[in-house]
Amino acid sequence: MLIVVDPSSGVPVFRQVMDQVRFHIAGGLLKAGDELPPTRTLSAELGVNPMTISKAYNLLERDGALERRPGKPLVVAALAPEEIELEKLDQLRSHLSGAVRAAQQLSLKPGEAIKVFRQMLETDKED
Amino acid sequence: MSVLALHDIHRSFEPGIPVLDGVDLSVNAGEVVGLLGRNGAGKTTLIQIAMGMLHQQQGTVEVFGLDPHQQPVEVKRQIGFVSENQVLPAFLKVREVVELHRSLFPSWDDDMATRLVNRFGLRPGVRIKTLSKGQARQVALLCALCHRPDLLLLDEPAGGLDALARREFLETSIQALSDTGTTIVFSSHYLSDVERLADRAVMLHDAKVLIDNTIDELHESFSIALVPHRPQGTSEALLALPECLGVRVRTDAVHAVFRLDPDDACALITEKLGVTDSRCRTAGLEEMFIEIAGGER
Repeated sequence: MLIVVDPSSGVPVFRQVMDQVRFHIAGGLLKAGDELPPTRTLSAELGVNPMTISKAYNLLERDGALERRPGKPLVVAALAPEEIELEKLDQLRSHLSGAVRAAQQLSLKPGEAIKVFRQMLETDKED
Repeated sequence: MSVLALHDIHRSFEPGIPVLDGVDLSVNAGEVVGLLGRNGAGKTTLIQIAMGMLHQQQGTVEVFGLDPHQQPVEVKRQIGFVSENQVLPAFLKVREVVELHRSLFPSWDDDMATRLVNRFGLRPGVRIKTLSKGQARQVALLCALCHRPDLLLLDEPAGGLDALARREFLETSIQALSDTGTTIVFSSHYLSDVERLADRAVMLHDAKVLIDNTIDELHESFSIALVPHRPQGTSEALLALPECLGVRVRTDAVHAVFRLDPDDACALITEKLGVTDSRCRTAGLEEMFIEIAGGER
């Protein structure tokens, strides 16, 4: 699974795991029914406390992103296409929050900030 | 259930200079606690008192509800111990050291010992004195784990090991954790190891417990504020706030650690100091440690 953690980033490790699972679901890398690695496998691979992984999994299950069936591996829950669209926007929002704060600290007008965002999006497409 | 309970521990090695000055620490079954603090902060002293290797001058210690000085054998049978300064008998072979531990602990797990010998690539016929530092530490960890202790006390277990050896040490401890739910108390200067493994961090500073919080709380509900240097008296005003853990004066700003999330910390600074252009953010343990250990309180 494509999960990496940086324990020193100041973001709790369980939250890093949750964010990446949600990102992969929104991005289509994880699809409904896909199995997640068992807690102890993932914790050993990432070199983190197994409780951290089970906390992330439990919260994702509570949020409806994952589904647990007795005696079987945890799987990605089925989401309606419109829910996935919402999730994509949610993901983008959380990635942009740092940029928004920077724009405010730099006293940029919203129009100027949006122009930069649009330019960067379009340049990236051409590459 | 409390596995380790230290209450009001006092210890000094020179009169008038306390190393531990009224320290309380309680660790529940299955918890993983990282002990932080500068060199000389008392981490080793605390662990040795818990092991019964050192007497406290005041206060009480209970390990599994027992006094480690009154019932040393019962307590030590349930503990696995590894320290950076551990000395294994240099002229014995790896096999003989393992045999020695096997004979001391009725609960010794032969399968686990074989598995770890293979995993670490240890050669049983080799003498301890010819092992590298990393291999010697692996032998110590093997001896500490294979009697399946309920409590692991690790005193700077990764000290002096290279990055890969440290990671392997960590992974082996993590496996013991998932297999048997062992309680772990470990001291470490590698703060990212503490962030990986521990549920909770306890920081000793000035002979007392300065921080005792879960790692998640430290990441989410603590923050570092960068406050520009004017007006005069900024650092004193910050230090006067009860939520401020310490300040560190830099050339153009004061850095302050707060027991508050970034939004609340910034709001408090605005309210109490009238400073509106401070910047507050969450931080990793290493940064927080440096701000606290290198600053004033």
